[in-house]
This record gives sequence, C-alpha cells and structure tokens, in this order.
Amino acid sequence: MNTGQIISGAGHLALIGWALFGGVFKSEPLPFEVTEVTAISGDEYAALVAPQSAPETAVDVTSPEAPDIDDSAPDLGSGTDVQPEVAQPDVAATPPPDERPEVTEVMPPADAEVSDEPPEITPPSEDVAVLAPEVAPEAQPREADRVAPEPVAQPEPDAQIDDIVQPETVPDEAAETPREETDATAPEEATTEIVTEAEEPAQAAPSKSLRPQTRPERPAEPEPVETAQPQEPAETETQTDESAVNDALAEALGGGGASETETSTPSGPPLTRGEKDALRVAVKQCWNVGSLSTDALQVTVVVGVTLDADGKPTSIQQLSATGGSGGAVSKAYEAARRAVLRCGAKGFDLPRDKYDHWRDIEMTFNPEKMRIK
Amino acid sequence: MKHKERGKPMTYLSKTVILCAGLALAACSNPDRLGGAGGAGAGGAGSGAYAPGSAQDPKSPLYFQQTVGDRVLFLVDQSNLSPEAQTTLDGQAQWLMANPEFNAVIEGHADEQGTREYNVGLGARRSNAVQEYLVSRGVAPNRLKVVSYGKERPIEICSEEACYAKNRRAVTVVSVTPVS
Amino acid sequence: MMRQFLTLLTAATLLAASVTTPVVAQSPGPLRIEIDEGVIEPLPYAVPDFVADTDAAAELGRNISRVIAADLSGTGLFRELPKDAFISQITSFASPVQYADWKAINAQALITGAVSVDGNGRLVVQFRVYDVFAGQELGQGLQLTGTQDGWRRMAHKVADQVYSRITGEGGYFDSRVVFVAETGPKDQRAKRLAIMDYDGANVKYLTDSSSIVLAPRFSPKGDRILYTSYETGEPRIYELNIGSVTRRVLPTQAGTMSFAPRFGPDGQTVVYSQAQGGNTDLFSMNIATGASNRLTSAPSIETAPSFSPDGSQIVFESDRSGSPQLYVMPSGGGEARRISFGQGRYGTPVWSPRGDLVAFTKQSKGRFHIGVMRLDGSEERLLTASFLDEGPTWSPNGRVIMFTRETQGASGKASLYSVDISGRNLKPVQTGTGASDPAWSPLQQ
Repeated sequence: MNTGQIISGAGHLALIGWALFGGVFKSEPLPFEVTEVTAISGDEYAALVAPQSAPETAVDVTSPEAPDIDDSAPDLGSGTDVQPEVAQPDVAATPPPDERPEVTEVMPPADAEVSDEPPEITPPSEDVAVLAPEVAPEAQPREADRVAPEPVAQPEPDAQIDDIVQPETVPDEAAETPREETDATAPEEATTEIVTEAEEPAQAAPSKSLRPQTRPERPAEPEPVETAQPQEPAETETQTDESAVNDALAEALGGGGASETETSTPSGPPLTRGEKDALRVAVKQCWNVGSLSTDALQVTVVVGVTLDADGKPTSIQQLSATGGSGGAVSKAYEAARRAVLRCGAKGFDLPRDKYDHWRDIEMTFNPEKMRIK
Repeated sequence: MKHKERGKPMTYLSKTVILCAGLALAACSNPDRLGGAGGAGAGGAGSGAYAPGSAQDPKSPLYFQQTVGDRVLFLVDQSNLSPEAQTTLDGQAQWLMANPEFNAVIEGHADEQGTREYNVGLGARRSNAVQEYLVSRGVAPNRLKVVSYGKERPIEICSEEACYAKNRRAVTVVSVTPVS
Repeated sequence: MMRQFLTLLTAATLLAASVTTPVVAQSPGPLRIEIDEGVIEPLPYAVPDFVADTDAAAELGRNISRVIAADLSGTGLFRELPKDAFISQITSFASPVQYADWKAINAQALITGAVSVDGNGRLVVQFRVYDVFAGQELGQGLQLTGTQDGWRRMAHKVADQVYSRITGEGGYFDSRVVFVAETGPKDQRAKRLAIMDYDGANVKYLTDSSSIVLAPRFSPKGDRILYTSYETGEPRIYELNIGSVTRRVLPTQAGTMSFAPRFGPDGQTVVYSQAQGGNTDLFSMNIATGASNRLTSAPSIETAPSFSPDGSQIVFESDRSGSPQLYVMPSGGGEARRISFGQGRYGTPVWSPRGDLVAFTKQSKGRFHIGVMRLDGSEERLLTASFLDEGPTWSPNGRVIMFTRETQGASGKASLYSVDISGRNLKPVQTGTGASDPAWSPLQQ
C-alpha cells in the first residue's frame, strides 16, 4: 500500500466514523425530548402556584398596596375611582396600586362543571394533536407589518389575504361562513426584514427587499439520482437514522440483498425536489415566529406529521428538539404545529399517486435565520 | 427668535436675560468702559446719584448682572474659557473683591444636544472652570459655590445653534446669602 | 484484503452521500423536510367579553376583556379579531369551545373568561386560553380574586398569563412606570415625579413641581424610587418609598453634586455620579449604612451607571476617550472595557433584565437614536431616530424599551414612547401631560 492509499483510507475511515456517530448523535435525543415536553405543564403549574401563595406574605411586601398613596398624592382628588374607562384615561387620580389579586387554579379536580380537562383533550404522555376534519374557510386579512421570507407586493385590492394563493372561485365549501363566495386570495404584503425607524431611508418603498435572498427557491426539477437504486420501491417503515445507516451500509456492502423488511409498495416514484420544495414553501408561509420569545427562537424542533390522502394533517407529534429548555421548546413546537395545521387545513398540494411517500413527514423547523430579522 | 413669534408678552425674566446678554457682550468688547464704571461705582457709593440697588448702583447685583456681565459662553462640549470669557470673569472678580459682603453661586448649563446625565456633568465642568478662574483672580473659594443644571434651564428655547450658543453658559449669581 | 478494503471505501462513500444529505435520501421512511424560514406577523386572537351573571359583573367583564385586548394587541405580537367577525359566541365559561367556528375566522388563540362577585363583594375572574388549531387548551384555567376596584390589575394579570402561554416568556402588563411629568414652556418647565400603570392608566403624582426632578429609578422590588432633585439648590439623590410617599436624601458627600442613581439588584447598593471640582465620577453607596466608595477616578465625566442583573458589573457612560462612549467594569470598580465603537456619541446605557443586551442613547449626525447592542459591543441595532430620543428603560421581560422623545423647537415637548427590541411597534405612551425619563418597574407581585 502506498502512502496515498493510507491517507485516503484513514480519511475515509474518519468519514465513516463521522457518518455513523454523526447520525447517532443526531438521533439520540429522540426518545427523551418527548417526555420533556410533558414536564412543561409542571413548570407552568409551578409558575402559577407561586403567585398563588403570595397573599399569605402580603403583609411583608409593602409597596403597592399601601392605601396611604390616596391621601398623600398631591393635588388630585379621588373623584374618578368609579368604573374606570377602558380607553386611555386622562391624568386622573385613581386609587393606588390596585390590590393584588389572589390567583388560584380554576379547576379543582372535583369540579364537575369544567368539561375540558387537559387529559381528555390530549394523551398525557405525548403532545399529539388529533384533528377533526373541518373545513377552514379563508382567513381574514392581516395587518401590514408582516415579515416573510420573500417580499410580497401589495395584493390586488379585492383579493383576500391568505397563505394559500388561489384564484377566485364560486362558492362551494365555504358555505358555513358569512362570506358568500371564495374571493381570490393572495399572500399579504410583506418585507423580508424588519425596518426600524432608524434604518428607514428617506423615501424607501415599503415593500422593497432589503437584503438578498438567503436561499433562493430551487427550480422544480427532477431530483438527481444520488443513491443506490432510487427507483426501487422504498420501504415505508419508520426508523431511526441509525437503522437507516445500517441498512444503507448493508445494502452498499452486500449489493442490497440484506434488508428484508416488509414493504407496502408505494404507488409511484419518490417526490421530486420541486414537489418537496412546494411543500416547504407551503409550510413556511404559515410558520409565524413573530410571537415567540427570544428563547423559543433558539429551539430547532422536529415534528412528525401524518397526512391523509387529501394532504390534510391527521396527527402531529413532537419528535425532538434542540437548543432550549422545556418552556421554550413547548412554545417552539406549538408554533410549528400551528404552521402545519393552518396551512394544511385545506390539504397540502402533493401528488396523490405518491401518497406512500408523503403520508409520514418529519419536518425540521429551524429558526436560525429568523432570530434577527 | 422663535419665541417672540408666539405672541406672548415677554416676561420680565426674558427681558432681563436678553439685556444681560447684550450688556455682557458689550462689556467683553469694551473692557475700559467696565473699569471706568467700576471706578465710578466705588467713588459714588454714598453720593446718592442713583437709587441704591438699582442697575446704576455699582454695588448692586443688578449692576453686576448688567454692567459687569454675569455669564460666559462655551463652545460645544467645551468648558475652557475664551479670552472674552476671561475678560468678563476678570470684571466679576474685581466686583466680588470690591463687594466682599456678596457671595456667588456659579450655575453651569448645557444646550439640549446631549443626554440629561452627561449634560449635568458638562455643566459641572463649566461652572467649575469659572470658579477656578475667579479663585485664581483672588476671590476666596468659600464665597463661591457651583451648581450644574445640565440642560434643564435653557435661556433660549429654539432648537438652533443661535440658541444653543447662548444656552452653553455659566452664570454667576451674586447675593448676600451664605453659599453653604 | 485490498479488495475488501476498497469495497468498504465504496460503501462508505455511498453511505456518506446518503447520510449527510438527508433531504435527498431515498431510504424508506418518513419524508424529511427542513423549514428554515417563516414569517413574522401578529398572531390573530379572539377575546370575547368575559361572561357574567349580573349586569354589574357584565360591565366588568366587558372592561376586563377590553384591557386584555389592549395589552395583547399593544405588544404588536398579536392582533385582535373584531367581534363582528365571530361566528359563535361564548355564553358559558364551562361549555366546550366550538373550535371550528374560531378556526373559520383564523383565530389562532382564544381567550374565554367569566366574571362574578362573591358573597364578600370580591371580584372573581376566571379565564382559559385555547390553541384553536390544535384544538386544546394552553395551560390550565386560572381564577383570580381581588377587589372590584382592582379589576384593571386583574385584567393585566390575565393578559400576562396569556402572553406567557403563547410566547414562552414572561409578560409585562402588571407593571408600572415612574416618570417625570412636564408642564410649561421649555424655559420654565415644571417637573414632578409621577407614577402610572404601564399602559398610562392611573397616573398619580409623587412630588410637587417646586423643584426640578430628574431620572427616577425603581428598586428591584418596585417599592422604592431613587431620583435626583434640586430641592436644596444643587442636585442630590433622594429615596422615595412609594407606599408611604415618604422620602429622604441620601447622605452623599457634602459640597458635591450627586445624580444619575441606580439600584443594584440587592436593593441596597446604589451607584451614582458625583461631581466635585468639575469632575464627575462614579460612586457606590450602601444605603442602609450610608457608606460610600469611589469607583472611578478619571478626569473625565463618568455617569449613567447601570448594574448587570447579577450585580457583578456596571455599564456606564464616559468621555475619557474624548467623546461619550459606553464602558463595562466590575461593580466594585477597576479596569473598564469600552464596548461602543460605532460612529457617534453613546450615552445612558441600561443593562437588560435578561442580561444579554444593553440599551443606549446614541447621537449621530444630528439625530438621536435608541439602540441595543450586546455586551461585547457587537450586533448594534438602532431602533429609533428622531430629533431627540434618550433615556431607555426595559420592560420587565426585556422585550420592550420605553424612552423619552422630545420634539424640536421653541414649542418642543417631551413624551414617552415604546418600541419592541426588534424595532417594530414604535408608538407613544399616553400620559396626559408632557413626560420624560421613564423607568419601568418589575412585574408586580
């Protein structure tokens, strides 16, 4: 063996090791993160219980309750401490810091009135949303301050804002809403980036894109063949990366004879890259991270989605999460779940003849690019 | 000046201030006149040629304000004394030496271009510069006190350099009350 | 041997290709896609009037739901759906929610509640938050009990809960702001301390306008305020107890001016500026004992100190380099490290309650900005621009900054504004009179 082969061999062995263990590390947190999610309600519970116990120590905490402020606040009478208005009040004397309310859980275990106890809604072990098949008519228009991956021009005046672009149609399934017919929809006007007051140029066009696309959409083209036997029917079993690695290894080594798992033969070839990209675009239009905390924006969450043949989600499940603690993970998952549920409400546009390829989807929601917009 | 356009009658304070500013500038440009006035004041204190305490009375705070000149101005962010300012302060020192029953509070001010906290510090520098100069001219340190108002008490209210220039000032306020 | 090795290499190469690019992997199993871009927009929600069984309670129920909506929509993170869009009404707090009706109007969150008055005349508020599209409750139902007069605080507490259950971070609605109320023209401005709810309600005055007051600051528990007053003729620092509205002057060194105070996280240590002989330096004082010690001794102006949340460091403003810039040093004094390097003058740094950012005032090219940067000076981001913006203060959760904006000219007037740290949602805070120098309290207990 000459030196070149040795170096090459060593390099490739390192590559194998990295591939194996990289895969292992990637898949390791799977079983654990799911249980961590259930701990969240515990955290929230603790947070809620804390204020609950406050009234006992109220005597010690002097500040906001002292009635003295009433008397000593100069100049102002106390004439306005009747029913306060909701609109911004004028400068008016109102009672001192309102008394601290006592906080208690609404539902005692024995409360028969309360019908929606969490265990009845979700299985206690996993956070799985099971969907009733409902038709969601078009959305209301949203406010203008929207930041989206691509700049969106102002829609036609009569087009409804919707995440899903669709032409105007006659009424059919939208009958249960007050609206008579389905208006044409278009994505809401959006910029690619938040523009602060300090950054506003003198006469900037509001919908101008301020920085180049970080990832341009790829053209819809057939997926290049990169692995062995891509045209072969693929097994539909779900498995971890590790077993996938093992199968791939065995296949590569033994010419594909090793794996003998049961296969429900999928109808049709795998999804093209264009088809996958279309799905990605559909989901990201509904992935709204605007209401997430800074911590939740650190969390990358992997969500397992099962679709019915119409492309509508039938179950959603958090598979794993990285980058945050319990509460943040939970909020990151909920935002991802909303994205799938909202944009999947009418069914994702996927080729029916390839159903077996997209019945189960693992979606990774990575907010890295969304942190500083 | 914009505040004149408001149609409100000028307050006594405003008039005084403008008059003072004008006189201070006059005094700066004509030191001889200052010296002469001082001499006249010293000689005529008991003569009854003018009402005691009026602006003509060289021993009065009004005379100090209007004739000697009670203020000096500064450049942006600066607290060093210009030659003109030093001339005014020479007059202040002479007056204070001639009227030992008076004490003085030196108020340092800044224009509105700057944060509130920094401007208090800047005003402190300016008032201190005046204090040190007066002491160097012989005024006893215990007759002088400094206070900084930062940008809290502008004398001119427009947001232009013409106003800013007059607000960047140190004003010497004399009175017979003890300084501390 | 060699042949086997080469076979292995080939396999490894194929393997690497398939594993490192999972998106294109054709191995059987779930389809894998990565979503790395999304949208940022207000989340639509519905908050029907809280239900009640008496007319009086119904009035409170309406008011409470309006305050909750004002809180949530005021963040810019949420958008309330108008009542006339509702398909189903909430008439009973206990009945199951018709998710389909709320989905139909794209209400992504739904807040329901009930208001009643108990036998002791106490106000009882119950509420629940729903994730409509998931068809389940977010968190659990809660009940709050308090006085009827205190309904606004109860509404704020509900809104804090809703905010936290959706965003994952604490809210800031049950908080107050102390500020300087301003009246009169620029050259005769009367200033007095005032306190109000964060949303501008319940304004009360804490001092009269006989002397200039500056820059009040809350104690960590929100029960006391430090501020600067010219009551004795020169600026000195006072501590005011909000509950009793009693105050005392801090025993700073005689013959000096003291200003720009701020509490440390222990509520005992105070850092401030002291000017003596024309030089302004930083000092700290234990306000229980009155013992003070000097933190800096440079011939430059050192001012506007602010503690890190753990109390170990101080960020402050100094012109030791020739122009005002931001520096960080140990809270006991010591070597200071400059953190601001952009073009312009930097002042009034305030450490965020989360500890990761500093808000500041920046003056550049004749304009003032409120901005944020990291503690190492990186990622500077200017959030505002105007003739004069200054004096930022953080919301309790570190998400929003309130500051003073003063307009130009002879009729110039100061007022309070707030802005999200993303730079969005810039808006005025209603105070009735002119207002400056806001300081945001911690969340009330």
